[in-house]
Amino acid sequence: MTPLLSVEDLRVYFPSGQRGETVKAVDGVTFSVGAGETFGIIGESGSGKSTLARAMVGLIPPTDGRIFHAGQDIATMSGAEFARHRRSFQIVFQDPNAALDPRMSIGQTVREPLDIVNADSRADRDRRVLRLLDHVGLNPELALRYPHELSGGQKQRANIARALALEPKLIVCDEVVAALDVSIQADILNLFARLQAELGLAYVFITHDLGVVGHVADRIAVMYLGKLVEMGSADQILHHPLHPYTKALLSSEPLPLPKAMRTGTRIVLEGEIPSPVSPPSGCRFRTRCWMTQDKCAEKEPAWLKYGADRWNACHFTDFNRDGEASDRAPSAAMPPAH
Amino acid sequence: MTATQPLLDVSGLTISFRQGGSDVAVISDLSFAIQPGESVGMVGESGCGKTVTGLSLLSLLPPETAKVSGRIGFDGVDLTKLSPRDMQKIRGRRIAMIFQEPMSALDPVFTIGQQISETIRAHFPVNAREARERAIDALAAVGIPLPARRYDEYPHQLSGGMRQRAMIAIALSCEPRLLVADEPTTALDVTVQAQILDLLLALTAKSGTALLFITHDLGVVAEACSRVLTMYAGQLVEDAMVDDVLTRPLHPYTSGLLRSLPRLSAAKSVLPAIPGRVPTNAEWQAGCRFVPRCSHALIACDAPQLLRGEEPHRVRCGRYSELSLPGVLP
Ligand SMILES: Nc1ncnc2c1ncn2[C@@H]1O[C@H](COP(=O)(O)OP(=O)(O)OP(=O)(O)O)[C@@H](O)[C@H]1O
Ligand SMILES: Nc1ncnc2c1ncn2[C@@H]1O[C@H](COP(=O)(O)OP(=O)(O)O)[C@@H](O)[C@H]1O
Ligand code: SF4
Ligand code: SF4
Ligand SMILES: [Mg+2]
Ligand SMILES: [Mg+2]
Repeated sequence: MTPLLSVEDLRVYFPSGQRGETVKAVDGVTFSVGAGETFGIIGESGSGKSTLARAMVGLIPPTDGRIFHAGQDIATMSGAEFARHRRSFQIVFQDPNAALDPRMSIGQTVREPLDIVNADSRADRDRRVLRLLDHVGLNPELALRYPHELSGGQKQRANIARALALEPKLIVCDEVVAALDVSIQADILNLFARLQAELGLAYVFITHDLGVVGHVADRIAVMYLGKLVEMGSADQILHHPLHPYTKALLSSEPLPLPKAMRTGTRIVLEGEIPSPVSPPSGCRFRTRCWMTQDKCAEKEPAWLKYGADRWNACHFTDFNRDGEASDRAPSAAMPPAH
Repeated sequence: MTATQPLLDVSGLTISFRQGGSDVAVISDLSFAIQPGESVGMVGESGCGKTVTGLSLLSLLPPETAKVSGRIGFDGVDLTKLSPRDMQKIRGRRIAMIFQEPMSALDPVFTIGQQISETIRAHFPVNAREARERAIDALAAVGIPLPARRYDEYPHQLSGGMRQRAMIAIALSCEPRLLVADEPTTALDVTVQAQILDLLLALTAKSGTALLFITHDLGVVAEACSRVLTMYAGQLVEDAMVDDVLTRPLHPYTSGLLRSLPRLSAAKSVLPAIPGRVPTNAEWQAGCRFVPRCSHALIACDAPQLLRGEEPHRVRCGRYSELSLPGVLP
């Protein structure tokens, strides 16, 4: 079956600085997302998640590699064809204000994509806006309000309504709940789940919150300095991680548990993510990896398949451990949900 | 619980801002204490008054518009009665504060080292050379590599994590008795957050500095604090030991905050969000301010609710003894 979205050896470079340097924000990434699926991407800031997100929906041209929307290479589409196509692949950003024009009412903002397509009458479009607002849990009265009159959660709902206007098949969500309080975050996550059940939407869900990704994702990819280091089912990644970076990331998440239950030892990584202008030789994670050996500086670890849909890039991953309980699975320490 | 005299003893703290000719209340009758060396968390949704409370402890609210009443006892002295000059001697020396965005607290035109030296010289009779040495030691203590070189760098030359370390170095350079930390790790990645938390806890433990840790992250509270204050709409609604509140919260709001964490629900299940939103100041009622969102509300809840219960667990909910509310455990 053709995946809804696939990305093959994608690279996105930006020129930077005066000395003709290149920022390798995304540097060889391959994965695909099926219809109706939620694909999570996690990793530290600066790892290239937002750049990847924008490239996926055609907002930034790739430097190299290919992006397929429903099996079709978007680079081969004509302008008009792509414009039509883009409607099915939407994006929502972290900052609820980013896509809202302060001079446009919420109703106008949500209607704008419909106005551009201009397929039906103005009255039909207005009716559709009210339905969309209702759909995302906004009182239709808010159509007449302006962004500054809305709370962060309400603005994010308006952004989602706008993204839904053209009936997409996939929405890329880049840290969409990061700026929201937990109870509002819970509301928005419930909304995403309901829309997925009702409309069969697929999501690419980018977040640095492991609790959030564990709740929404079917599969998860872990990104570090422009590359994926591990990919697998949400359960595999969160409960049986293979890659040293995934393990460190999971163990640094502070858990809201009483002292006696916080038993896992923590791997505190030293230093911060290096610059993507000149990534370390060999394995990019080696400057912070507590397992690093000489080989790691000399040779880049290959992106290898471990089992049905499980990938990992580390020279020292023990093949046999796949599927077994990892020696470090801090999130498994959370009490089982009822 | 302890016989020691509290380091900080806030009682009846009420804060309002002058806005368009009228006073808008933001903190109502807040009372809590912090023991020497104790680490206390403060949680609550956006706009509940956490930052305003923190700023008031250092007299950092805008004097033209902010009206502060009540008592802020610190080491036996009521800070609200101090002259600006006397307060200046305490700020930075006895009580220090760090913020979410270090750039807003660091001065872009001075080097990191100058800013630490200046703080030290404002409070100790040392010469420039001694201040420099102490500042370099302070940079080393917060884990900044090559501290002698970093001394001469400007804030914009440092990464987010390094800036946060520099701000901690400034705040702890005079070994204050109390550090108010307002979301100091919120903007950081979990990996760097873990480094900064370890650092903060190690340094405050070493100098016996008490911590008021403002955060919206209950995981951070569990990790860094022994007691936690839950704020709702300008009021303290629960004051309890962290382990008690995580396992058996007594206020429906605290329970709601815990239960809405995605970690605690089965993957893909509907999350128990708290319905509605925090009321604006204009919507505050005389009775329990949580009534419109509380699934346990009764008519009696419309009457003013007092903070009650046995130390060290106090709660502002008249029904607390009849309710059995879920915490993080199923
Ligand atoms: N200088 C000011 N003038 C007027 N009102 C203010 C001022 N500072 C804060 N407020 C108001 O006081 C209330 C409490 O604000 P505060 O910043 O303490 O919230 P908070 O709990 O820290 O929220 P967050 O989690 O978003 O940081 C809010 O209603 C806010 O709008
Ligand atoms: N337009 C741009 N020009 C130059 N560098 C960029 C641009 N966009 C992103 N970058 C750089 O690419 C890297 C990855 O950034 P980003 O995709 O935003 O990461 P993330 O979303 O994971 O935090 C960062 O080093 C960032 O500074
Ligand atoms: S390849 Fe080496 S440096 Fe990279 S993750 Fe594996 S052990 Fe660590
Ligand atoms: S006093 Fe009543 S409304 Fe307020 S928290 Fe308690 S039960 Fe809910
Ligand atoms: Mg990003
Ligand atoms: Mg605040």
